[in-house]
Amino acid sequence: MKRRQLLAAGCACCASALVPRAWAQETPDYLAPQRFQRPDLATDEGGLWAMMDREEKALRRSPLVLRDARLAGYVQDIACRLGAAHCPDIRVFLVRTPQFNASMAPNGMLQIWTGLLLRMENEAQLAAVIGHEIGHYLQRHSVDRLRDIKSRAAAGQVLALFGLAGAIGQLAVLAGGFAYSRDHEHEADRIGAHLMHRAGYRVSESAAVWNNLLDEARAREGDEPSATSPLFASHPAPPERRNNLAQLAQSMPGGTDGKDRYAEHTGHLIDEWLQDEIKRGQYAESLVLLSRRIDTGGAAGLMRYYRGEVHRLRGLAGDHDLAWSDYQLAVADADPPPPAFRGIGLVARQRGQMSEARHAFARYLDLAPEAPDAALIKSYLAELNS
Amino acid sequence: MKNLLILSLALLLAACASVRKVESGANPVGERMSINVDGNWNHLDFPGIKPAQLWTMEGITIDELMVYSGIRDGQVMHSESAASDKQKDFAFRKAMQTEEIVSMLEGVLSRDGSTFKLRKLEPYAFGGKKGFRFEFERIRKIDNVQMRGLGFGAVDREELFALVYQAPRLTFFPRHEARVEAIAKAVSIK
Repeated sequence: MKRRQLLAAGCACCASALVPRAWAQETPDYLAPQRFQRPDLATDEGGLWAMMDREEKALRRSPLVLRDARLAGYVQDIACRLGAAHCPDIRVFLVRTPQFNASMAPNGMLQIWTGLLLRMENEAQLAAVIGHEIGHYLQRHSVDRLRDIKSRAAAGQVLALFGLAGAIGQLAVLAGGFAYSRDHEHEADRIGAHLMHRAGYRVSESAAVWNNLLDEARAREGDEPSATSPLFASHPAPPERRNNLAQLAQSMPGGTDGKDRYAEHTGHLIDEWLQDEIKRGQYAESLVLLSRRIDTGGAAGLMRYYRGEVHRLRGLAGDHDLAWSDYQLAVADADPPPPAFRGIGLVARQRGQMSEARHAFARYLDLAPEAPDAALIKSYLAELNS
Repeated sequence: MKNLLILSLALLLAACASVRKVESGANPVGERMSINVDGNWNHLDFPGIKPAQLWTMEGITIDELMVYSGIRDGQVMHSESAASDKQKDFAFRKAMQTEEIVSMLEGVLSRDGSTFKLRKLEPYAFGGKKGFRFEFERIRKIDNVQMRGLGFGAVDREELFALVYQAPRLTFFPRHEARVEAIAKAVSIK
């Protein structure tokens, strides 16, 4: 058993795979188990907990963990509403990493990455992800996964003795592992929906999370993600999952989305998360995300600025025109982001529109005199004025 | 766990990397750039590092100097086509402005999930050409180490030349910062 496999089992079924079966009729309600006791260290489960404890200790010291007590408290409260009696055992860590991911370890360590927080449109969507992770936790999927990996590893070793037939057998064992993972995902989605409903959230938002993620993945892959991505290949077909969630939501009507509360607690960090997002260089995905945010309202000037940045950095034919248009709308906003003026200056300078460039750079320096690139922009201004 | 990862990385690199000492004095890199060094630099070569050269004084899990020489229009920076998550490749374009080149280097340095914060970006005569200098901070994802770094670059005859140095911020970066500044100052581009 490899250590990485153990870890993968420990954080099994992450929400990068957030992701469901025709099961609405299967669970009229969900009865959570009692709070878990720490398992004996001599057992496989005890070993898994010990390993996750060490990971958690390292995570606590990580400079990548957000030290924003208000936001951390807010997300912890959401986890507690969903986890109910298990609340004291759930510890939330918000990690500054721009990818979409969340995972929950069997010892109660719940990690949520900022790339996921950036993509949530309201509190109910975040509750959908957390509820899904708590579903894995309550059903102790990571322990099942660990035991499954162990037994498959043993079977694979035996099959490996039989040449090509053995190799095909190994592939079958691996494929079985994926199916096993899919069952866990279905179950976690179903439980998550029940927890959401019980906590007063609008369950249909869980389908929206998956739909949004699917749009981004399609933009990147240019095809159904399940056809090209090993990540998606190991989970239920995306449209099936979204449809199942929507179907389940119909049987659990009502609830609130908490959109304003979510914006109130995350609004001050969106700028930083968007900076991290565009550094990924996944421009097609970022454009889908930003266009969605612009369409749904909120921080429009900031979103337009970043969409302009994505177009400028991508630099395909016509992108500078699109960037120009977004920058112009950004600076017309009631709260214009200063770097949008720099963006106008850079595009104008490249187009040879010197007067516009001069004016935009001067405005940028007025608004952000301490900007990291102020010295460079001043040199551009000096050139333009000479 | 992180230590194990670093150790694994070091062992992997040891298995497929070649290492040679960088001689004191002028060292040609590519066809047009020459770097004058003193001190005990080592040049490592391993799959995935091209089109850069990687130099280090303390070992690559500690400090690294990436040397880019004569990068041409459309050339990919450290292709990651083997990555399972289908990461985008960053490529240099001859029409890039300084900010776009620095953004490209930011992307290269943060695509493993590390954070990158630009502290300063200013004009700089690099290799006798009109270029730029930048300072940055980075939290390395794999081991959570807080790094500091310096970068220098210029585009000449549609080719990119650049140096990017980084080391842990507390001990190693201050130890080598002046040395790296001196190297950048002495670069020549034909």
